[in-house]
Amino acid sequence: MTTPPTSQPLAARPAAGSDVVAGPPVSPATARRKRRPVGGRPSTVLTIAMLAATAYFLLPLVWVVVASTKSNADLFSSFGLWFADDFNLLQNLQDVFSAQGGVFAKWLRNSIVYAVVSGVGAAILATMAGYAFAKLRFPGGNALFSVILGAIMVPMTALAIPTYLLFAKVGLTDTPWAIIVPSLVSPFGVYLMRVYADGAVDDSLLEAARVDGAGEGRIFLRVVLRLLAPGFVTVLLFQLVATWNNYFLPLIMLNTADLYPLTVGLAQWQATSAAGSGAQALFSTVITGSFVSIIPLVVAFLFLQKYWQSGLTAGGVKQ
Amino acid sequence: MRTNQRRAAAFASVVAAGSLVLAACGGGGGDTGEGGDDASPAEEVSQEEIDEALSTPTQLLFWTWVPDIQNQVDLFMEEYPEIDVEVVNVGQGADHYQKLRSALEAGTGAPDVAQMEFQHISSFRLGDNLMDLAPYGAGELEGDYPEWVWSQVSDGEAVYGIPQDVGPMGNLYREDLLTEAGIEEAPATWEEFEAAARTYREANPDSYLTNLPSNQAGQFMGFLWQAGARPFSYDGAETVSINLEGPEVDKVVEYWSRMLADDLVSTDVDFTDQWYQGLSAGKYASWQTAAWGPVFLQGTAGNTSGLWRAAPLPQWEAGENVSGNWGGSTDAVMSTTENPIAAAELAKWINTAQEPALRLATEQFLFPAYTPVLEDPAFLEQEAEFYGGQKVNQLFSEISETVSTDFGWLPFMDYAYSSYTETVGKAIEDRGDLAAGVQAWQEDLRSYAEDQGFTVE
Amino acid sequence: MSTSTTSAPPGAARPPAAGRTGRRKSLQRPEKIAAYLFVTPFFLIFLAMIVTPLVYSGYLSFFREQLIGGDAFVGFENYADALQDSAFMSGVLRVLRFFLLQVPIMLALSVLFALVLDSGRLRLQRFVRLSIFVPYAVPSVIAALMWGYLYGPDFGPFAQLAEALGGSAPRFLSGQWALASIANIVTWGFVGYNMIILYAALRSIPTELYEAARIDGAGEVRIARSIKLPAIRPALVLTLIFSVIGSFQLFNEPSLLQSLAPTVITNAYTPNLYAYNLAFVNQEINYAAAIAFLLGFVIMIVSYVVQLSSQRRERRS
Repeated sequence: MTTPPTSQPLAARPAAGSDVVAGPPVSPATARRKRRPVGGRPSTVLTIAMLAATAYFLLPLVWVVVASTKSNADLFSSFGLWFADDFNLLQNLQDVFSAQGGVFAKWLRNSIVYAVVSGVGAAILATMAGYAFAKLRFPGGNALFSVILGAIMVPMTALAIPTYLLFAKVGLTDTPWAIIVPSLVSPFGVYLMRVYADGAVDDSLLEAARVDGAGEGRIFLRVVLRLLAPGFVTVLLFQLVATWNNYFLPLIMLNTADLYPLTVGLAQWQATSAAGSGAQALFSTVITGSFVSIIPLVVAFLFLQKYWQSGLTAGGVKQ
Repeated sequence: MRTNQRRAAAFASVVAAGSLVLAACGGGGGDTGEGGDDASPAEEVSQEEIDEALSTPTQLLFWTWVPDIQNQVDLFMEEYPEIDVEVVNVGQGADHYQKLRSALEAGTGAPDVAQMEFQHISSFRLGDNLMDLAPYGAGELEGDYPEWVWSQVSDGEAVYGIPQDVGPMGNLYREDLLTEAGIEEAPATWEEFEAAARTYREANPDSYLTNLPSNQAGQFMGFLWQAGARPFSYDGAETVSINLEGPEVDKVVEYWSRMLADDLVSTDVDFTDQWYQGLSAGKYASWQTAAWGPVFLQGTAGNTSGLWRAAPLPQWEAGENVSGNWGGSTDAVMSTTENPIAAAELAKWINTAQEPALRLATEQFLFPAYTPVLEDPAFLEQEAEFYGGQKVNQLFSEISETVSTDFGWLPFMDYAYSSYTETVGKAIEDRGDLAAGVQAWQEDLRSYAEDQGFTVE
Repeated sequence: MSTSTTSAPPGAARPPAAGRTGRRKSLQRPEKIAAYLFVTPFFLIFLAMIVTPLVYSGYLSFFREQLIGGDAFVGFENYADALQDSAFMSGVLRVLRFFLLQVPIMLALSVLFALVLDSGRLRLQRFVRLSIFVPYAVPSVIAALMWGYLYGPDFGPFAQLAEALGGSAPRFLSGQWALASIANIVTWGFVGYNMIILYAALRSIPTELYEAARIDGAGEVRIARSIKLPAIRPALVLTLIFSVIGSFQLFNEPSLLQSLAPTVITNAYTPNLYAYNLAFVNQEINYAAAIAFLLGFVIMIVSYVVQLSSQRRERRS
């Protein structure tokens, strides 16, 4: 459709490090090493101001932690940001994992599987394509790249409904593939890898390898891949988070509760508890479930921070 | 990889072509064929065929949100060991119908049997999605249901769903709060109800006699039903009637307009945590609700046990005894099923066989549509602690007999309800001109119907 | 479509191996072949998952299917209708308002926090950075759910707190406040994300660039204004473009809060929500496709304007 015009400004600009980084691309790691000593003495005023800001970001999380320790009755009768007399966390956890025959554990597993498979798959595809766009010259490359960039702007509803109908025709709805296959495409990942490869892979290195008679595939596997690792992890994390957080696609694609990811499962629990269904309202279970479902990603972030940031540096600095 | 893709592409085009042909023929029916509303009644299926089908290994998919329905399904599978039923909950209300439509539209993944509320039957009939159950022995059940219930699921000889539960409307109220405010008895007429609301409000500035939710078309339809209005109908072909004018509608609209304008009623959205809290904290002293309401309330406002009582809905004329219906549902068989006999038997059996049907009423607390259960002493005589030992089932089964027949629906109630919220609901929320809201709703429905190619009367 | 899909070279799934075949005769040819092989796997899925549905959706948008009367080709009629559809137009204006209200606040906070973190004058730096970033790890579905509880008009903690202090909290999901309340949820979730992008950009500025300025006695604020901010402009444009896309596609938050405030957050509250409801409630898939296309078009225009104006400004400076 009308994608090429918009992507023009993005694509038309030289991807080669033009703006900030003069000379040979500086790898983020080196930049950081140089940076440490700068800055003045720690400022108490600044610290207090920032801690106040921090409170805003932590408030809902504090609430969800506190609320997961309450029984359904206390949830509404006690003050939201402090504990009730009755500490009900263990009971709530037990409820979460035993409700509907332990379906929550399946949701957790599904979310992890969908996110990891999509993340790794998307990162592999994006790394190969991004490297080719950045370092290999081929006819039509720029046009192709423009088309891919334009796709970032396509609204999801424009895709979700026809994708559903097309998947239904080949019998892929209500299968894990309906979630994983669409998540393998990350136009932004390709963009990021192109920019990253541009900075991280030295042309002379490639030339040297070619002169030595190495094939392109060998060069990619032996030389390039190692250099692109931080970018790879960044795309992986991006897509992992995107798939983990995805609600719309699984909502329309899946019918079987056993295949739901956490987002859809919890939203359905929330709807069911609100609608009553003649059974007990499950608000405390929904809240405790939300709490549990936040934990894996937070932990992943804590451990993978380093990669996450260094990969982004490339995407953010040069455009 | 390549061959797979080619095969997939080929498959897709075959399926696409196939569905076009089907669409052109105007029927998505599978083996059953006669699902539609053809003039000639479908042929009766013989007992031999039924016996054979029920002793053949068969897999059925059943979409329902009813809690613990697995109990009934397990009983069914004990009765018919060759039949394996998978129960799936794809969501409740709107979510359920959206998924069902998508699956039917896509041509795969639709269930054999699905939960279906009364007001949605005509909408799925329109797409020829529901199988006529009459040839499978459903016609014989007519005498076992109240007349108004049967009229909801049948059209002439055809039967499109087996009624499971119904929601004749009554009035649940907090006896303690009313007494405190000096109201000795449940208001018998709407006039008395208004006076009581005034008295109550004067005594309790933080609380209301009742709540009129801005999102609850179902309840409002129940009020119209009781008042004798018949706003909608559908002839099963191309003609709908949408008429929200006339004295019966005006009566209801003017009444609630006054209640809203004088701040005698709150307008909180229902079935939210906020509303639950309102119920248990005494923010609303009564709830005009359906027969499924009593047990529902018991589960959500447990702390107020013993304080509630049940009464019939207030009447428009003193001495009258009329009610409306809100909610309730059926089990319908999709016309795409490949096992029509087994599917029809599932829908029929769980709702009419002695054990599963009674357990639906006494364990899952669905208010039964089926007269033999409705009259079963095990059901009628239950005394509800929550209602101070009152025999609530008895009361509602009496109310059930006072629901008037022939209340019709449009073949697009999901649209109609969502439009309600944005027109009538908006007026309720703003405590604005309810008559204008109803007018806007009518206009919106008419223009939607015309856009969709219906003839509007 | 299917021809280009199936005509892909065999062995597309294992491109790296393919590069090894044969000694290079010219410098160009193997590189070209390798490039195509590297791009092919992505592009195949791209074709299948983005281009095909898009083309199909475009095709659908030229038809109209009525409940009575079936399918008919209507050309651009759906588009013409959409342009006169006040529900769609007010949705577009609403997300535009959302964009103008929320994005400046969010990005200003992100820049500010990134600068503070980069100044190195903060204690507990790691803790602060993580705390601000952590909401990004919370799925928007769960964020909307949590904030929905927090916004509760009678029993939510804000309401409880306000009551305890003798005041009253605003009704967060009333017509007056709903958009701001949704903006708050989005801001909460994405400040950290944008901050990290900007912070990463700041960290890669070679320090020599402003060590000299510091020696000349320039303060942190001055350095931030005249060196750091210009240096991270490309990153800022990138976050801005993402924000355009995110704002105009707003869906999850209003969709989940709808059950709490159905008369305020209507079915056409945002264009995306409208397209969804058209397709799944109104059964107007064709019209929904047209709406989705127009929305994509609006997003492209706005992104284009953002790009253009940032480029122009850059050229001027």
